[in-house]
Amino acid sequence: MSKSLLKFRPLALATALLLPASFLLPAFPAHTEDKVTIGVSLPQDDNPFYIGMLKGIRARATELGWDVATVSSNEDKLKQINGVQDLVAKGVKGILISPIDAVGVNAAYDAAAAAKIPIVSLARGSTSPNQTIHVAMDEVQVGRDIAEWTAKKLDGKGKIAMIMGPSGAPTFRNVAQGYNEVMTKYPLIQIVFKTDGPLTRERGLKNAEDALVANPDLNAIYAANDDLALGAMQAVLAANKGGQTFVTGMNGVPPALRAVKDGNVAMTVELNPVIWGRLGVDVLAAYLKGDKLEPRVFIKHVIIDSSNVDEALAKMAPPKS
Amino acid sequence: MTVSKTGRKLNWSGQAPLITLVVLCVVTALLTSRFLSPLNLTNILVQSSIMAVIAMGMTFVIVGGGFDLSVGSTVAFSGCIAGMAMLKFGIFAGVVAGIAAGVAVGLANGLVVAMLRVNPFIATLGSMVLVRGVVYIITGGAPVSGEDGLPSAFIAFGNSRLFGVHYLVWVPALLLVALSALLYLTPYGRRIYATGGNKEAAYLSGVAVDSVIASTYVWCGALAGIAGVMLAARLQSGQPTAGEFYELTAIAAVVLGGASLQGGEGTLYKSVIGVFIMIVLGNSLNLLNVDSYWQRVAVGAVIIAAAAADRLRSRA
Repeated sequence: MSKSLLKFRPLALATALLLPASFLLPAFPAHTEDKVTIGVSLPQDDNPFYIGMLKGIRARATELGWDVATVSSNEDKLKQINGVQDLVAKGVKGILISPIDAVGVNAAYDAAAAAKIPIVSLARGSTSPNQTIHVAMDEVQVGRDIAEWTAKKLDGKGKIAMIMGPSGAPTFRNVAQGYNEVMTKYPLIQIVFKTDGPLTRERGLKNAEDALVANPDLNAIYAANDDLALGAMQAVLAANKGGQTFVTGMNGVPPALRAVKDGNVAMTVELNPVIWGRLGVDVLAAYLKGDKLEPRVFIKHVIIDSSNVDEALAKMAPPKS
Repeated sequence: MTVSKTGRKLNWSGQAPLITLVVLCVVTALLTSRFLSPLNLTNILVQSSIMAVIAMGMTFVIVGGGFDLSVGSTVAFSGCIAGMAMLKFGIFAGVVAGIAAGVAVGLANGLVVAMLRVNPFIATLGSMVLVRGVVYIITGGAPVSGEDGLPSAFIAFGNSRLFGVHYLVWVPALLLVALSALLYLTPYGRRIYATGGNKEAAYLSGVAVDSVIASTYVWCGALAGIAGVMLAARLQSGQPTAGEFYELTAIAAVVLGGASLQGGEGTLYKSVIGVFIMIVLGNSLNLLNVDSYWQRVAVGAVIIAAAAADRLRSRA
C-alpha cells in the first residue's frame, strides 16, 4: 500500500504544482481569432498614471471592436522585452508600449520589427530606429507654458526657486529648458535656487524649506512634477508664506488638482493618461489603415488653475455606470 | 537526489520538476496553438537563458547549505562594470571586467559567511543593498551606454545566433555541461554536497568546509557576473536598476528544481528545469491573455506549492 502510494508521489507533486494554475482558467477571456488584437506593455501596472493609460486604451479599443492583450513588466527591462516577444508570438496586429528605458528595451522594438508588427511608444520614447511612432507630450512647450503663466502672475518681476526632476531624465530636462527659455525674456525675474533629484514629495518639502530659508522673499516655486509641488506646498504652508510664495506643478494627478482647488498649489499641467491611451489606439489605427503619420505625435496639454480646476476635478470623478 | 537512488531501473522519484514542466507545456499547447510555434519556443529559450545562469550559481550555494540574496545586485553591478570597461578598453576587457566584478562580490560574500560566520541570509542581504549602492555611485544612476551605444559586436552577441541557436542560449548550455562535470565527477563537487548535507560530518572526515563554503559563493558571484554581461548585451546598455528581485526568482527556480534549502541536495539541470517552469508559466499566462494581477497570484502560488512539495518530499 505505502509502496504504491510512493510510486505516485511524483505525479501528486506535479499536480500540486499545477493546481494553482488551474483555478486561473476562468480568468481567460474568450478568444476569437478573427478579431483584431493589439498588445500593450507598460512599465508598471500599479501606478495610477499607467492604470489610467490602460483604461483609455481599453475603452478606445472596445469602441473599435478590438481586443487588448496586456503583458506586465514591473519596471524590469528584461521582463518588458520578454513580454513584447510573447505578444509577437501571439500574433497581435500592433503594439503600444511605454518603454521603461530609452535604450534598454530596444530589443523589444527589434522583435516587433522582425515580425513586421508596428510598435508605437506612449509617453516615454525609445532611441530604437524600429519605433514606428512616438505619441509624446510636447515637453519644451509645456515648460514654456508654465513659465508664461508664472511670469504673468508675477507681473514680470520676482524671485523663483526651481525644484527640478532627475538630471538624467530627458523629459524633465526638456520641460526645464522651455521654462528657462521663456524666463530669460523677463529681466526682472531672477532664478535664485536650483536643485535636481528624484520626484518625491519628501524632496519637494526639504528643498522648498531650504529655498525659503535661503530666500525669505521668494515669490514662486517651480516644481518639476506634482509630487514635488505637493511637498513644496507643505513647506510654504508651514512657513506661513502662502500669501507671498506660490507653487506650480505638472501632471494633474488628483491630489494636485484638489490642492489647486484649495488654492495651495497655484497651477498644474494636465496630461491626462486616459486621453493618452485613447490617442495611442487612434494613432495605431491610422497607421494600420495606411495613413501617413509624423514620427512624433503630440498629446494636448491643458494648464489647470483656479479658473478651470472644477472642470478638471469633475472629469476625474468616476464615471457613473 | 542521493547517489543511492540512481541505480534503480525506472526512477520516477525526484522527477516532479520535469513532470510539472511537461504538464505545463501540454496544457498550454492545448489551450493555444501559438505556444509550440518555432518563434515562441525560441523566445522561451532566450528568455530563460540569463536566469538559468544565475540559478546554476545559486544551486552551488544552496547545495553547500547557504543562501545568496545579492545576485540581483551583482547582475546590475557586473553589467554596468562591463559596459563602462567596454566603452574604454574594448569588448574583451569589458567582458572580463564584468565577470571579475561578479567574482569579487562572490568572494566577499564567501569570506563574510565562511570566515566571519555571519548568517548567509543577513550577510548577503547586506551585500545586496551595499552592491546596489555602489552601482548607483559608479553610474550616477544613469544607464551605461556611452554616446554612441555599446560596441555593435557586443549587442549582436545579445541577439544573434550560432547554428540557429542564440548565443545567449549557448552560454548556459555549455556552462551546464561543464559545471555538471565539476559537481558530479570531481572530489571537489562531492565535498560541496558533503558540506551542505552535514557540515560536522564533512569537517570530521577532513573536508576544509570553510573554503568549500566560501568557494560556492565565488561560483555564484562568477555566474551572476556572466549573467550580468549577458543582460547588458540584451539590454544594449549597463542598467543600474537591472536585476531587481532576480535573487528571488533564482531561489524559487532552484527550489522548484527539487533542491533542499537545508543544503546537500540539488541538481544543476533540475534547477534549469525550475527556471523553465518559471519562464514557461509567465510565457503561457501572457499567451493566454491572463490579467497581470492574476499572473502575480499564479507565480506566487506556484512558488508556495513548490516549497510545500519540498517539505512533503523531505518528510517521506
